[in-house]
Amino acid sequence: MLRNLSFARQILPALAVIGLAIAAWLILAGLPDRSTAEPAEQPPKAVGDLAGKARVAGAGIVEPASEIIDIGSALSGLVTDVRVRPGDRVAKGDVLFTVDARAAQASLAQSNAAIAEARASIAEASAAQATARQQLALYRGLADPAAVSRSEVIRAEGEEAAATTRLGLARARLASAQAAAAAARTEIERLVVRAPIAGEILAVNIRSGEFVSTQGGGNSTPFIQMGETNPLHVRIDIDENEVSRLAIGAPAIVSPRGAAELHVKATFVRAEPQVVPKRSLTNSAAERVDVRVLQLIYALPPSEAFRVGQQIDAFIPAKAGAPAKTEG
Amino acid sequence: MLTGDAQKFYGLLFGIGFSTLLITQQMTIFVNLVERGASGVYNAPEAEVWVMDPVSRTTDVSYAMPGTALDKVRAIPGVEWAVPHLRAVANVRTKDGDLEGVTVIGVDDATLIGLPKRMAVGDKSVFFAPDTVVIDDVGVDRLFSNGASPLGERLELNDQRAIIRGIADAIPSFTSQVTLYTRYSSALNFVPGTRNRLSFVLVGVAKGETPEAVAARIEQETGLKAETRAELAQAGVNFIIENTGIPINFGITVFLGFVVGVAIVGLTFSLFLRDNIKQFGALKAIGVTNSKIMQMVGVQAGLVGLVGYGIGVVGTIAFIRGFGSNPFFKGFYIPWQIPLISLAAVVIILALTGFIAIRSVLRTEPAAVFR
Repeated sequence: MLRNLSFARQILPALAVIGLAIAAWLILAGLPDRSTAEPAEQPPKAVGDLAGKARVAGAGIVEPASEIIDIGSALSGLVTDVRVRPGDRVAKGDVLFTVDARAAQASLAQSNAAIAEARASIAEASAAQATARQQLALYRGLADPAAVSRSEVIRAEGEEAAATTRLGLARARLASAQAAAAAARTEIERLVVRAPIAGEILAVNIRSGEFVSTQGGGNSTPFIQMGETNPLHVRIDIDENEVSRLAIGAPAIVSPRGAAELHVKATFVRAEPQVVPKRSLTNSAAERVDVRVLQLIYALPPSEAFRVGQQIDAFIPAKAGAPAKTEG
Repeated sequence: MLTGDAQKFYGLLFGIGFSTLLITQQMTIFVNLVERGASGVYNAPEAEVWVMDPVSRTTDVSYAMPGTALDKVRAIPGVEWAVPHLRAVANVRTKDGDLEGVTVIGVDDATLIGLPKRMAVGDKSVFFAPDTVVIDDVGVDRLFSNGASPLGERLELNDQRAIIRGIADAIPSFTSQVTLYTRYSSALNFVPGTRNRLSFVLVGVAKGETPEAVAARIEQETGLKAETRAELAQAGVNFIIENTGIPINFGITVFLGFVVGVAIVGLTFSLFLRDNIKQFGALKAIGVTNSKIMQMVGVQAGLVGLVGYGIGVVGTIAFIRGFGSNPFFKGFYIPWQIPLISLAAVVIILALTGFIAIRSVLRTEPAAVFR
């Protein structure tokens, strides 16, 4: 049997069959995996009632119910004391920070000195007036007109009139000095910056010793940012093309970025009357202004998951039977 | 009978084996090469539907959309989720000062949908570090040919600092361009600014919906172009076929393989039959019918075909496996259809040449024994 074993007739075909079997196995095992995969982390999605229904999606930003208040300063100067820290809750009228008031204090002291001086002048003028009046009364009370010379009487009358005028002048000086003191006190009061509403301090960008100018605004960072964070609102941008489909007033489902498994129901507050160029969520310094958006304001229920300035994804129901858009 | 003459037998084996190798191997390389046009699609395994501007053609030939396109797509019923995807070209300056064109791919910030399935080095969590880019393994060969580890290397992209923190295990693109993966928000900084940046919206389909139906609905309701994964992959392949000479070049080689096979096998086969014409005559003389002779020749041709085909296919696999570590051949595979096509080619070669060669035998008279 073995003697008849031929390389070409038996071994080679057998090798070929084995080789082909291995080849088939390698080919089938080596086929690439082209299947789709489930995302490892859940992206934002419409859930519940909205999952299979007509809806409008938008992205937005969390903001305080009062919107963010950039606290300004009425007067410029050095900051002497910052009384709040980020996260503090303040009541209306609480002191936020104070600006150097030494100049105003000095002018108050000056005014007080002027008041004292005016009061002294009043006393002096009153005394002079009293003396002059006594002298004049004495002269007028004499029965004998020849007892005193006519010129003496005229001098006494003049002294009385001058003292009266001096008294009037001193009183006017007192009023002026009091007005100056009041102005200085107002100035001092204006150098103390207070909370305009009750709310939470969101950012403090000044420290003691820094200079605040009244020319805030523009691109400069606000000194202190605060707002009413109870409740929080979200400002959702909706593409102007989608606005006609929107069921305005319906509650929205909101998920914070990065925690898409969280679905929070937000209640409608208002729609901004103006359609504005889209600005949020570009992550880019060069803003895109080709797209205009309607901004809807929704109130969030109390939740630990949202913070002011956070980006969110939102789904809002569409109007029943709203026609589909065919615009690109 | 055939194996008796070793020269001719091995000549036949060589002919069949060579043409099988040529046909199988060239078709394999061709298929894999044009499939590189679809690598962008296969590198984002989560996306079932791709939404793009109506003028976009493939993953690499695309026109950006305004950012609100994402919200429009999210509003379509049947869309389970939708995330932004940015693909753009940028120039990167390496440490040595060289300029290299790269593809920057921005994947969704929160979910990282759009990344290749696996990372070769590192973990997907590196994306959450600032200024992170992850390079693909082809890019490592291109940018760091000296064998140094790219991890921690600093690159300059659009005047921004980018740090390589990982290597992705990706299918290379057709041009083998260096690909840098980063988060969408970083990609916006790395790519020179234009007004619209969003290249694609990747969509997952809700349960109970087919990608085709959802894609059709997105197209109808948003006016954007929506393609399923398979459609976009096909579009990428078609783009390469339409815009390069690759199909003609490979077609010519495959045809040459076929011709070489026919020539060698045909010559050897007919020589062999002619040499043995006396034996066939003797067989006829003892009463063997023509159909029996055809069966005999057929069995022998089948034996030669089997062995030759085996040599060719095993050779192709050895070739593809042997070069598997070369980045040019990364991800190459043999589609199961191709060995079947070359099998059909072998059968045709043998049938054609066998039929031509056997005609003389069939016409032989038993008297040929005495000539």
